[in-house]
Amino acid sequence: MLTIEIQKEDVHDLLIIKGEIDASNSVMLDQKMLDLKNAGSKSILVDGSGLEYISSAGLGVFMSYLEDFQEEEIDLKIFSLSPRVFEVFKILGLDQLMSIYDSKQAALEV
Amino acid sequence: MLLAILVWLALLFVDLVRLFGLLNELESGIAKEFTWVLEILFFLTVYLFYNYSINKNSQNDFLNLIWRAASTGIVAVFVSIMINLFYSLLGDSNLANEPFLNNFFYHVNFALITVFLISSTLLWKHLILYQKSKRVVKQWQAYEIAMLGAMFFVFFNNNSLDYSFLFGLVLLIGFGIILSANLKWIPYLTFREKWKSLLFLFIIINCCGYLFYQVQQYTDRTLYVVNLTDNLFLISLFSFIFIYAVFCFLVTLFNLPTSSVFEQKLTEAINFQRLSQSIQPEESEEQVLDILVDSCMSASYADAAWLELGDLESSKGVLQERWLDSALREELSELIQNQKVAQDWAVENRPENLNPLSLRLNHNRFESILLVPLVINKSAIGRMVLLKEVRDGFNKEMVNIISTFVRQACIAVENHRLLNQAIQNERYQEELKIAQRVQKSLLPTKLDHNEAFDIVAYSNAADEVGGDYYDTFKLDEERYVMIIGDVSGKGTSAAFNMSQMKGIFQSLIQLNLSPAQFMIKANAALSRCLERNHFITASIFLINTRDKTVCHARAGHVPTLMHQVNNNKSDYLGIDGLGLGILRNKQYENHVEERTFSYSSGDVLVLFTDGIVEAKNEKSQQFGFERIRTLLEVYHKLSPKEIQSKIIDSLHGYVGGDGLIDDDYSIMVVKFSDQ
Repeated sequence: MLTIEIQKEDVHDLLIIKGEIDASNSVMLDQKMLDLKNAGSKSILVDGSGLEYISSAGLGVFMSYLEDFQEEEIDLKIFSLSPRVFEVFKILGLDQLMSIYDSKQAALEV
Repeated sequence: MLLAILVWLALLFVDLVRLFGLLNELESGIAKEFTWVLEILFFLTVYLFYNYSINKNSQNDFLNLIWRAASTGIVAVFVSIMINLFYSLLGDSNLANEPFLNNFFYHVNFALITVFLISSTLLWKHLILYQKSKRVVKQWQAYEIAMLGAMFFVFFNNNSLDYSFLFGLVLLIGFGIILSANLKWIPYLTFREKWKSLLFLFIIINCCGYLFYQVQQYTDRTLYVVNLTDNLFLISLFSFIFIYAVFCFLVTLFNLPTSSVFEQKLTEAINFQRLSQSIQPEESEEQVLDILVDSCMSASYADAAWLELGDLESSKGVLQERWLDSALREELSELIQNQKVAQDWAVENRPENLNPLSLRLNHNRFESILLVPLVINKSAIGRMVLLKEVRDGFNKEMVNIISTFVRQACIAVENHRLLNQAIQNERYQEELKIAQRVQKSLLPTKLDHNEAFDIVAYSNAADEVGGDYYDTFKLDEERYVMIIGDVSGKGTSAAFNMSQMKGIFQSLIQLNLSPAQFMIKANAALSRCLERNHFITASIFLINTRDKTVCHARAGHVPTLMHQVNNNKSDYLGIDGLGLGILRNKQYENHVEERTFSYSSGDVLVLFTDGIVEAKNEKSQQFGFERIRTLLEVYHKLSPKEIQSKIIDSLHGYVGGDGLIDDDYSIMVVKFSDQ
């Protein structure tokens, strides 16, 4: 089960992910990211506190937007990942390419 | 038949001898009973012969049966008339009063009458028992027994017309009337056949009447020694045949006007059956629809029709046109389109509730029209349009039967489509099996190694094909390469990318690259091959058995577990590295590391994919890194094969008996030998 909610906070778009992302529903995440990009968002904050599991297909979605966001200078920050999910990002090496923070506070301060 | 003729000849001989004796006032000494016995024997032989002969050509249709009876009657009557004619020509000459000749002709007549009566009775039997029920069969058997009794009745009353004779006659006639009520075969005759059977029945009735009259003539004369024909058996048969023929005649006559209705219903039933049968996979939908249009037209006496597939509002594909050309059809479509009711009908939201719509039409030729929707699986696939030149030409019965036809045809079409789908699916399954076989062959069956280390590997795909990959390569006698990889996603797309990975490994590894160099080149190659949101993780190991070193690089793959005998500990190799295909430019070089370490005898390397780590039990808890580590610490002394099965068994035990591991998983175990 996966729910993705978008909230507007100041200049940031808050993406609240709850549940598990796997091959069957990663399209949903892809669509939300695309929507935000097309809407001209400049700062996307991903609340990963409710994310229980992410499969390689889900990681592929984040990965596929890295270059685009860099080109269009869109800020993508992920925060409050559970240790286990963070481990997945870390093993793949995504922690070096993406901005991942312990908390929302930490993400906003930078 | 021969036997019957012999018996008749014996009968003739005996009677002629008796006549001779009588004329010469001599007692021939032959009792009357002897004649009767021969007569009964004659009846029985004729009966047996006809029973046999009618049963033999079992495929007799009704008309044939009636014609047989009629033709026998005609022959009997013809012979009888000829004899009469012969006598009238003779006038009062001597020959006319010759008793021997008289008696001979009497016997001929008797034989023919008997043959006519018995054969007709047996033919009637066939007609009566056309629709057999237990009751009718019982009745018929009783009647036959009664008839048998009637044959012997002659012994009791000596052929006199007393009350017992009358009583028996009335009884048998009554019986015959009851049996004559069985006329169920008549409705099955077509209109033409009914006319023919009327003719035949008319002949039979007349023959019957004439022959009976003839028999009465004989009775009045006294020149015959033994009266053969005034017999209860024969008289009863006369009455039975006559009554049944009259019944049939009248019923057929009154059935004539309604016979077309019955024929119509029969055609409808046959059409219905044709529609149900036309589901054969090799037949196309068009054939079903072809039969449908024909059936509906004949059921409603429509003058023209067409059938179109597609949306009810904007139908495009016209499949069938009957008795009209496309110009006329378009003209009519226009007219239909202009009617408000038809418009409402066409945009009905729930096609499964749609009923055929009957309309009046303002057209110089067609005055009424019936729109029938073709509904499959709750959606309209098209419509059939039936046209008639008379106003309000479609009654309720027609609409009902047409609805039934259409429903049946739609079921046939739907079944046909489902069947094709099933066949298609079957083919896909077959293709997947082939893919599975091909992919299995991509994984090595023999793993390269020398005596310095032992190696085993195992891979399992969640679907038919998977995205896990492992391979080995022998650089030279002392240097070996091992790789394990995992393609993002799963199923067919992962399998394709996995085969690309295999190609890249097998070509790049021959360039004698260091592990980090290999990863950089592989990343560059894969960046051009993979879709934007796909990536591959891999770990590569270069084992040098001369220096006892392992050179290692990791590209986003789950860390490799190693047991070192020296400090008696199992731990994951800590090394950073980004997955392949994530950074598709030169910057990737900054994200890959390479590390060399030496090993000692008894050390164990366990390479695996994330399918093992992420396998969940019933409580949704992952198998995890720690469990694998502990397992290796416990079992590191075992052979690689045993270590591998310990881990896999433990994994299956953790997930639970029925729990399926819904990701691909692979494992490779390397153990350095004690030398």
